[in-house]
Amino acid sequence: MANYAHPEVLVETDWVKNNLGNPGIKLVEIDVDTKAYDAGHVPGAVGFNWQTQLQDPVRRDILTQDAFDKLVGGAGISPADTVVIYGDNNNWFAAYGFWLFKLYGHKDARLMNGGRVKWLNEADKPLTTERPNPTPVAYKAAAPNNALRALVPEVLEASRTGKCNLVDVRSPDEFTGRVIAPSGMSETAQRGGHIPGAKSIPWNTAVQPSGAFKTADELRAIYLEQKGVDPKKPAIAYCRIGERSSHTWFVLKYLLGFDQVKNYDGSWTEYGNLIGAPIEK
Amino acid sequence: MNHQLRVYNDIFEMLPSEENPSPLVRINRLNPAPEFALYAKLEWMNPFGSVKDRAAWAMLRDLEERGELGNGRGLVEPTSGNTGISLAALARARGYHLRAVVPNKVPLEKKILLKIAGAELDVVSDELCPAPGLGDGSINLAKTHAKASSHRYVMPNQYENEKNVEAHLRTTGPEIWRQTEGRITHLFVSLGTCGTATGTARFLRGQNPRLKVIAVQPTEGHDVPGLRNLSQLDVSRLFDRSLIDDLLEIDYKLAYTRALELCQTEGLLAGPSSGLILEGARRILERDRAGLGVMIFSDNVFKYTANMVKHIPALAAGTQA
Repeated sequence: MANYAHPEVLVETDWVKNNLGNPGIKLVEIDVDTKAYDAGHVPGAVGFNWQTQLQDPVRRDILTQDAFDKLVGGAGISPADTVVIYGDNNNWFAAYGFWLFKLYGHKDARLMNGGRVKWLNEADKPLTTERPNPTPVAYKAAAPNNALRALVPEVLEASRTGKCNLVDVRSPDEFTGRVIAPSGMSETAQRGGHIPGAKSIPWNTAVQPSGAFKTADELRAIYLEQKGVDPKKPAIAYCRIGERSSHTWFVLKYLLGFDQVKNYDGSWTEYGNLIGAPIEK
Repeated sequence: MNHQLRVYNDIFEMLPSEENPSPLVRINRLNPAPEFALYAKLEWMNPFGSVKDRAAWAMLRDLEERGELGNGRGLVEPTSGNTGISLAALARARGYHLRAVVPNKVPLEKKILLKIAGAELDVVSDELCPAPGLGDGSINLAKTHAKASSHRYVMPNQYENEKNVEAHLRTTGPEIWRQTEGRITHLFVSLGTCGTATGTARFLRGQNPRLKVIAVQPTEGHDVPGLRNLSQLDVSRLFDRSLIDDLLEIDYKLAYTRALELCQTEGLLAGPSSGLILEGARRILERDRAGLGVMIFSDNVFKYTANMVKHIPALAAGTQA
């Protein structure tokens, strides 16, 4: 598939349609607009709510290992299942969900290329409002794989030393500090701008008009040649709350084959609130 | 039905047609070229208050005739307001329900009007972060309802429905031709779904191949509800560039100041999209100097008081004791 480094993590809408009802394949929809799943979803797909189910309800953090076990097991997903994730906004939160599945050690997780927009616009792809009624199973996640997640100390070090690519995937206006967040967003920060040394490569640079990812050659030309991301160095992607950066994390790690890529899920809502952290505008 | 006495058996008989056209009113004090007769076609005189009555009625009739409505099946439509208001009122008067999917930035007045007209509302926050292929959130959500709940909803889809164009081919175009006694030389329109522009221009061009069609569009990042900048036009399948001689991009703020001038000097209580058209027409009148122009004024200013204050803050002065 399009010469990606790890094509096995991406499936096409036709593949999903041909595998509807296949018991070893579990579909998960995760949307920015949490109403979208209720309006209609791929038959058999469960819906995860990023606001209430994918983060810790008290601390600011990803959901705990226990909570992940309960959520995923409760959705009838076993560790041996193939999990196919898709969502709105070209798979923003679907990529975030994929990142969580990998962080907690799920072997076979995949994204549906193009997300729900592509599925919706293909005449032969059905949607339903019927919720599946999965039988809960026991799910035991691995301890979180911190090689996939960047925390503040290493972000600061990456910025200070330049030994790691920092990729800012937000819109150009957020990068320059003209706005702190897209209008209407409740998660924001005290300061605008970007982490010193970061390159501005908005997440949508990676997708075609259909919503599907660009080819590996196109992606290489953009990220490596035009934007100067150094493939010999590790990389950290960030955005505002960690969902758009999951999308770029996926591109760098699985489509382009970077070895060490981390998602900084604290992102600007953490960094832009830190006392004394260096900021460029 | 008696158009002379204006006595009707139901509201549907009031819908515009060649025999019952919306009025043409001449622009006097804001016309910069006295040799050029400039008229406004007041679409807010239609029964549900906008040009969209035409497309809504044509799409609804078509669905009825094809047996797509009834037995609990109603409509779902993405709308910035006017189509929804017309569709909701028409649908409810015929016994169907309408779910309107509305972008959040639509003025509150229009959202409330939609509910008053009988629509069920779905509000979506659009433009989180511009993306290729994302389409319009409201269009996608409406399509989702139509696909996942097809027993409850059919989507007329004003952005792709040829009936939207046909409505203007059958009514707006012939009305203007008759009202101007075939003397129209310039047609001025704004662009939203492009049904009005494409249908009216297609009819009038058929009558007079030398007719000039001028479309105005607000500058990118605009705040003129119902209109689209060229960069947003790819959602409409009804846009036919070949019919348009001049495509003018106009600073969207002028939509508001010109609308206010229309209200205060011509007595035409026109909404912002009409203000934008007037600005475009004035530029062409100064260039072409002679002719007979018709501007299609989509709706009046009543739904836009909040937007007017936002862009002309002085309007708020002196409104509190």
